[in-house]
Amino acid sequence: MSFFFSDEVVLLFDFWSVHSPTGMVLSVLVILLLSMLYETVKIGKAKVLHRTMLAIPHSLSQESLAEQDEGAVDTSHGQHGTTQGRWFLYHVSQTLLHVIQVVVGYMVMLAVMSYNAWIFLGVIVGSALGYFVVFPLLNVG
Amino acid sequence: MEQAAVKRSSHPFRQKYLLLQCWGSTFLRAFLNISEVKMSLDHHMMNSSMLATSHPPEHHHSTAAPGHGHETGMMMMAMTFHFSYENVPLLFSGLTINTPGEMAGAFVAVFFLAMFYEGLKIARECLLRKSQVSIRYNSMPVPGPNGTILMETHKTVGQQMLSFPHLLQTVLHIIQVVVSYFLMLIFMTYNGYLCIAVAAGAGMGYFFFSWKKAVVVDITEHCH
Repeated sequence: MSFFFSDEVVLLFDFWSVHSPTGMVLSVLVILLLSMLYETVKIGKAKVLHRTMLAIPHSLSQESLAEQDEGAVDTSHGQHGTTQGRWFLYHVSQTLLHVIQVVVGYMVMLAVMSYNAWIFLGVIVGSALGYFVVFPLLNVG
Repeated sequence: MEQAAVKRSSHPFRQKYLLLQCWGSTFLRAFLNISEVKMSLDHHMMNSSMLATSHPPEHHHSTAAPGHGHETGMMMMAMTFHFSYENVPLLFSGLTINTPGEMAGAFVAVFFLAMFYEGLKIARECLLRKSQVSIRYNSMPVPGPNGTILMETHKTVGQQMLSFPHLLQTVLHIIQVVVSYFLMLIFMTYNGYLCIAVAAGAGMGYFFFSWKKAVVVDITEHCH
């Protein structure tokens, strides 16, 4: 089992079988974009977390923590309705981003497992490009 | 409040990004280890006398043949996603799924394993935060905009090497690494049901365990 350069590969799904250089170029591009998506989702999660912490007032979170300490897990208070609802939405979106990150990460791993050197280079370049483009957005806003 | 602004140099969001990097580094290690893992998988497949999977394997590796040394052993492993519940080997040679009932049980087990992995990650983070000792604050004056002087505060935290919290962290780290590799191997079976179980378990685990963590993080990150 070792890396090899080849124009033929079957990637992830039955219908994704590549036989020609054109197909290989397209496949490498798709894998590159997938790898960039992985880096983007990682930053996306951090940004959503940032926005969550800005949106939640300090007193509310402290009160929820005190509630949890006392063992009362009642999160449906009417007075904190809108903020609790907003926080719940933020958490659901974080969870969705997490699932996307897990799935995309595994897909990229399985693509590399094909041991095709072009695909591997596509993953590396995509990861580098993704990090390069998206990381500066971490400190903005 | 103080007149001089206190600027945190340990940016909390960079720390969060570094935590996310842990997941990425797990996969990087997986890439480096993959050849040994695949070899042992092949041996297991050849030992347990199993027929070829329901998926016709002949065109998968023959098209990728140039430059490949092995052909015969690799034919048994699926290289594309498929949905099947017969003759599915799961991690160990004794564990083979043959009936829908067994597949349902395996789905539930993998789901809970993925949830456990997420919970373990969060638990390690909490334990680390709780056991931080010797927090040192160093303040130094830094020139800021408009000629003002800002006090930049560096916060360094550390653990003693032979303390119980650090040993516990190490043990939990080993468990986390092993479970993450198991999840990777399960995903590598290319079985659609099991892959969905991994993704759903990770999502559900993150949803439940990170819920409490988000509240805790808010407190600790904003307190001065």
